[in-house]
Amino acid sequence: MRLSLAFVALLALALAAPRTGLAQTSPFEGKTITIVVGFKTGGGYDRTARVLARHLPKHIPGKPNVIVQNMPGANSITAANHVYNVAKPDGLTLGTFNRNLVLAQLTHVPGVKYDMRKFAWIGSAASETTILAIRADLPYKTFDELRKSGKTVVIGATGPGANTYDFPLLLKDLLGVDLKIVSGYSSSSDIMLAIERKEVDGRAGSYSSLQQFIGRGLVRPLVRARAIEPGIENLPVDEDLAPNPRARAIMALRSAPEVIGRPYVTTPGTREDIVRILREAFRNVIKDPQLLAEAEKAKMDFEFIGGDETLKIVNEVLLQPKDVVDDFGKYIKFGE
Amino acid sequence: MIEALFAGLLAVLQWKAFTFMLAGIGLGFWVGLLPGLGGATTLALMLPFVYAMEPVEGFAFLLGMHAVVATTGDITSVLFGVPGEATTAATVLDGHAMAKKGEAGRALGAVLMSSLIGALVGAVALAAAIPVVRPLVLSFGSPELFMLAIVGLAFIASLSAQGGRGMLRGFLAGGFGLMIATVGQDPQAGIARYTFDSLYLWGGLDLVPVLIGIFAIPEIIDLAIRGTSIAGDVPRGRLNQGVLEGVKDTFRHFGLTLRCSLIGTFIGIMPGLGGAVAQWLAYGHATQSARNAEDRANFGRGDVRGVLGPGAANNSKEGGSLIPTVAFGVPGSSAMAILLGGFFVMGLVPGPDMLTKHLIVTFSMVWTIVIANIIAVGACFLFLNQLAGLTNVRGHVLIPVILVLVFIGSYTSNNHYGDVLVTLAFGGVGYLMVLSGWPRAPFVLGLVLGKIAENYLYISVARYDAEWLTRPIVLVLFAMAVAVILYPLVQGWRSRAKGETHA
Repeated sequence: MRLSLAFVALLALALAAPRTGLAQTSPFEGKTITIVVGFKTGGGYDRTARVLARHLPKHIPGKPNVIVQNMPGANSITAANHVYNVAKPDGLTLGTFNRNLVLAQLTHVPGVKYDMRKFAWIGSAASETTILAIRADLPYKTFDELRKSGKTVVIGATGPGANTYDFPLLLKDLLGVDLKIVSGYSSSSDIMLAIERKEVDGRAGSYSSLQQFIGRGLVRPLVRARAIEPGIENLPVDEDLAPNPRARAIMALRSAPEVIGRPYVTTPGTREDIVRILREAFRNVIKDPQLLAEAEKAKMDFEFIGGDETLKIVNEVLLQPKDVVDDFGKYIKFGE
Repeated sequence: MIEALFAGLLAVLQWKAFTFMLAGIGLGFWVGLLPGLGGATTLALMLPFVYAMEPVEGFAFLLGMHAVVATTGDITSVLFGVPGEATTAATVLDGHAMAKKGEAGRALGAVLMSSLIGALVGAVALAAAIPVVRPLVLSFGSPELFMLAIVGLAFIASLSAQGGRGMLRGFLAGGFGLMIATVGQDPQAGIARYTFDSLYLWGGLDLVPVLIGIFAIPEIIDLAIRGTSIAGDVPRGRLNQGVLEGVKDTFRHFGLTLRCSLIGTFIGIMPGLGGAVAQWLAYGHATQSARNAEDRANFGRGDVRGVLGPGAANNSKEGGSLIPTVAFGVPGSSAMAILLGGFFVMGLVPGPDMLTKHLIVTFSMVWTIVIANIIAVGACFLFLNQLAGLTNVRGHVLIPVILVLVFIGSYTSNNHYGDVLVTLAFGGVGYLMVLSGWPRAPFVLGLVLGKIAENYLYISVARYDAEWLTRPIVLVLFAMAVAVILYPLVQGWRSRAKGETHA
């Protein structure tokens, strides 16, 4: 019923479009949209933004140019502050940042000068699930076997605030898995090599970054966080194994932002109609066969999650009661 | 193996791949010359173009570009004292000092020829190492990488002036570098160190603005004070003669060039050490080639050996840094991370297969590096005289141009005004260091090795407790570090003893 209604609405819109199109030019005609990425070139956020920038113009009326600008610093807070406070609310500056920025706001990290609830949300271009994977030559085939083995497993990590550190930390402290977390590796690639030379037994990380090593038979995934991605639906979820509601709440809070894996926002106060155009453009570009073909080749996953839904998740996170937040802050520190 | 080697060469020489490579070289040429416009950013911008290419063509394009950036980056370092790339800062020390003596042509000849030799040696070493590369890389764990950083820090001894006072200053400067390296959030407890509640400092200091500041600003001030051109009063004719001399220098010190090339390749192969380390270790090694204390004092004042070492290492590391990406699918730098994206786009999965099933593609990458460097160096030689002539342009004309390059270069590293402030601040530090005779090289060594040393030490202790101290490679490296520190001391003691007997 709702679907057919939406269809009728779309049809009406399609019929109306040519007339209004003649009457007024698009706000994006002859303009340049800048996507501000909160990280340097070379990472996942950057790659996603560059693919989107290439295909977005044809989905926005007026065919604006879309360019990518890298603004690294303070793990994306710098870029978020810029889009929130400095950029004009004209929809020409979009931001894509660290998905955990909402946690930085929740735990009152100094330097945060944005309110995630007030950004004009476009949505998210993909979700990212954190998983724990261990060397395939270890005898533990499932998470349960690992838990019951009574043996210490060494997990390599980059540092607090990264999913390579936080995810195993909660498994260890809240689920009682015997993990030894060794942090300080410069990147997840660096940990991967440590796994190859058997310095560590495994690592946590986003499924997308571990996929090729699972495929090659180097590591085996054991447990995942809540967000679902095709291929790992059957792994146990950390929250479901929680012994008490407190542990569950903390784990849920850590993984909540992962559904918004690649968040896209624009400056607060941007006109409704402009935000609507951008949301439509993102919804459509992620269905674009050319983009999908490219993503397939580059082994990237895209999935559009609308701005309303992402905002809902942000609100849920920020409405957590104080004791849960305090508890959470004992384990998780926002960082690189 | 041999067949694959030649098949790889033929693949690169196909007209299509070759044309793409030429296009890449043309791009990389300019990117390297302009400070700030980094190789990684350009790779990211060019990546979309490879969607429609075959693997060999795509890599010819991307690598052709990447391989040349390091070569032309050295030119900016020599001519203006502005590091063209973070990885070409070591050539500033002696290269620019030579330019100031009116030997710009010779310095450029030397840096380009050694770059070429470096690229060739790197490629040959790479090809030779392919059968043993996996065990080689895997035998270097965190403890070994930590000791490697210590060996690097030990070079401070030979980068410092002679005598107790010189050593003290050298090691203090190195300590200052280590301290600057700790700025930012620490990776073990997430504590912010020396950030003064500034968001900009949270992620640590970027190498590019610091290096540009510490090297370029003092040179600019010096140029302004002297009020002449970079080469001072040296007549124009003499500048241009040097190029051939520089080429000859490369072969006069062929052993050094060769050893520094191997150092570069080795550092390149070791993932996680970073591109900037190779050049500084090579520079440290070059200063060791001094026969005695007086000879050593020439370094930093325009000794051609201080140009040859870093020039060679800088290009040989490119071949080496492909190894972790190709053989393990783990990129050693952000440029390599982008290249890894290129692998997927072109339907290849990096990993052990690249050393067996796709060996031809791997060799085509090696060949691309070799050929791209030969072409780029050849093209540079055509312009070299004109380039050297720039050191005859009067300072007041040149300074505004260099300043623009400096600030664009530092600003584009993070697109943050903080970068410009850092450049100015370290420009001040650099100027004071030059003025009062403190060596800058040990500072940079501390800076580039600080994070590596800290993190790998932590990991080694956390993972192995004290056991790691007895690992054989760790012991060998430790002995090397001791030797590196003692060598200049013994040399100094010897030359003093000799001086006394003569007197």
